[in-house]
Amino acid sequence: MGETGTILVEVFFQTISYWWVIIPTIFLGLIVGGVPGFSAANTIIILMPLTLAMDLETGLIFMVSLYCAARMGAGIPAILVNIPGTAGAAATPLDGYPMTKQGRGQQALAMTFVASSLGGLLTTVIALATMPILARVGFYMHSVEMIVVMLFGISLIASIAAQDMVKGLIAGFLGLMIGSIGTDVVYATPRATFGFLELYDGIPLIPALVGLFAVSEAFVIIEKRLIITDDARKAMATPSWHATFEGASIALKRWWHIAWTSVIGLIIGVIPGAGASIASFVAYQQSRSFSKTPEAYGTGHPEGLIAPESANNGVTSGTLVPLLVLGIPGGATAAIMLVVMQFHGVSFGPSLFENNPKVGYGMFMAMAVSYLFMMFTILPLSRYMSRVTTVPTIYLAPMIISFTLVGAFVPREYMFDMYLALAFGVLGYVARRTGYHVAAILIGVILGPLLERYFLWSLKKSDGDIMVLFSSTLGNVLWVCLVLSIVLPIWFEMRRKRREIVTQ
Amino acid sequence: MRPDYDKSPRQIGGELVIPIVAVAFTLYFFSSIWNSPWTAQVSGFLVGGILLLVCGIFFVRCISQLMSGRASLGFGTLFSMQDITSRRIGLLITTVGYCLLIDRLGFTLTTFLFLALSMLILSHGKRPGLIIAISAAMSLGGWAVFIWAFETRFPSGWFETTMKAVLANG
Repeated sequence: MGETGTILVEVFFQTISYWWVIIPTIFLGLIVGGVPGFSAANTIIILMPLTLAMDLETGLIFMVSLYCAARMGAGIPAILVNIPGTAGAAATPLDGYPMTKQGRGQQALAMTFVASSLGGLLTTVIALATMPILARVGFYMHSVEMIVVMLFGISLIASIAAQDMVKGLIAGFLGLMIGSIGTDVVYATPRATFGFLELYDGIPLIPALVGLFAVSEAFVIIEKRLIITDDARKAMATPSWHATFEGASIALKRWWHIAWTSVIGLIIGVIPGAGASIASFVAYQQSRSFSKTPEAYGTGHPEGLIAPESANNGVTSGTLVPLLVLGIPGGATAAIMLVVMQFHGVSFGPSLFENNPKVGYGMFMAMAVSYLFMMFTILPLSRYMSRVTTVPTIYLAPMIISFTLVGAFVPREYMFDMYLALAFGVLGYVARRTGYHVAAILIGVILGPLLERYFLWSLKKSDGDIMVLFSSTLGNVLWVCLVLSIVLPIWFEMRRKRREIVTQ
Repeated sequence: MRPDYDKSPRQIGGELVIPIVAVAFTLYFFSSIWNSPWTAQVSGFLVGGILLLVCGIFFVRCISQLMSGRASLGFGTLFSMQDITSRRIGLLITTVGYCLLIDRLGFTLTTFLFLALSMLILSHGKRPGLIIAISAAMSLGGWAVFIWAFETRFPSGWFETTMKAVLANG
């Protein structure tokens, strides 16, 4: 065993001895991840004095565990009540919530816990093994390449819109337009802000998420006494661990699916500026594109749930790579970790693994150990968590509205954001009642401003020459992949139908 | 086979709301960037142009359905008797009230009032004791977790100020 191997083993056992920090932090992370507006990043900021008072190892393990658990926690309300805790879980309800409505909430939760833990664990190992190579990914991803990555995510709108293409495209492009509100990134010229200074920074994501999903869902669910059908409730009332094991088994059987979608998350996580929302949309779109049963997506299909959940947990290890190897944080939480670690005198960058290898490897090991603990501590909870769906909607709907609306207030502490969430709630409600997909609107709101930013940077660099979009080799390879991922499934479907006609 | 007279035309009035909002918003967006530098315009005109085109296709489709008698301009999909029977309108009014009052009354008190009132409305006034207990538990729990434990700067009012003074002196 080499020197690195010895350090890894030593760090592994040292991290496990911090179980007393990891386990409570996992539960804290699940809660903060599940409440829209709260996230690992702002919880670490809130608990910054506590984090700074801890010794280096404890602080590091606390932050990493919170980060991983919050990412997983965001998927829980997405599955149970159709409300993603963060934008990174916005693709989770597409198949997670239909499963809950069918009375398979417990199964869906078990599936997501296994997919998230395995995805996170696997990508942590891959990140550890390939850190120097992965760290370079960020260097190759310029604005042109990022545009194509965004388009991978945005093309999901077309998949969602499959049932009624025109309505789906209206929802998606309306989202993109709403996402363009605010000042442009070059000259800071305000656009469509209705005169509100609060909109100069663009549409804040949490109020949009809360309104489109939570508020509108609360108004829809009151039509029924319970979220789930009476038959599903009766089935859930039978005490059984069967559904948990079944969910875990379904996920484990799809280990290959977990592997490749979590690697998508890892790669997107490495790119500074990209993040869990892009990763989960891209993973969902890719999973659907290369599925033999694309028509099953959106109806409670296990692979539609596994893909975004493994990808958004794959992002967690990805964001650490540029932070540790180059000193460039890959996301908001990584940026806060950087600040805390610098307070403890740790300087990130290429010299970290030479001067302070235990810290460098320790962060990845903390992540791996957290995912291991999560697998065994959270999985049994799926049975109890899924009981949320048996709470009558007359109690559930007001609770959803009050706590998510306040959640919309938290990130910026503007009362305006609560009104904005309410406005998005009305938009989301109208959309749901009239057959427009709120997820398509949200994809536009999330990815639209990012796409515009990279598009403008590309045009600025090329003095307005649109051909810059096809000027890089990697970009062109990605363009080909994008076209193939859209065209191939259509071609396969046409071929399948032709064969069916011939055999008939 | 169901007889033809059973087939009532599909009500598409509600479906037109989102495209009309989209067109109005796009035109407003265009007006706000008309004299701006090209960097502020390019994305808006590109996305807005496509949105107007898709909305146009939708309107043509609707007109064709209306002319052939397959659709009517009713708003049945958006507003129905169920909104009154399910007390959805009551919930909407209390939600607007929640947003308006929370800045004055503070998180805890407003949340308690909102939960209690909206649950009473939705349950047609049944089980008031249980509802008040749930509302009190939820709002106090929210205060304990978010304001007391996490020191989140939720809107504060009489209750939060009093509790802060009590805890500071206790």
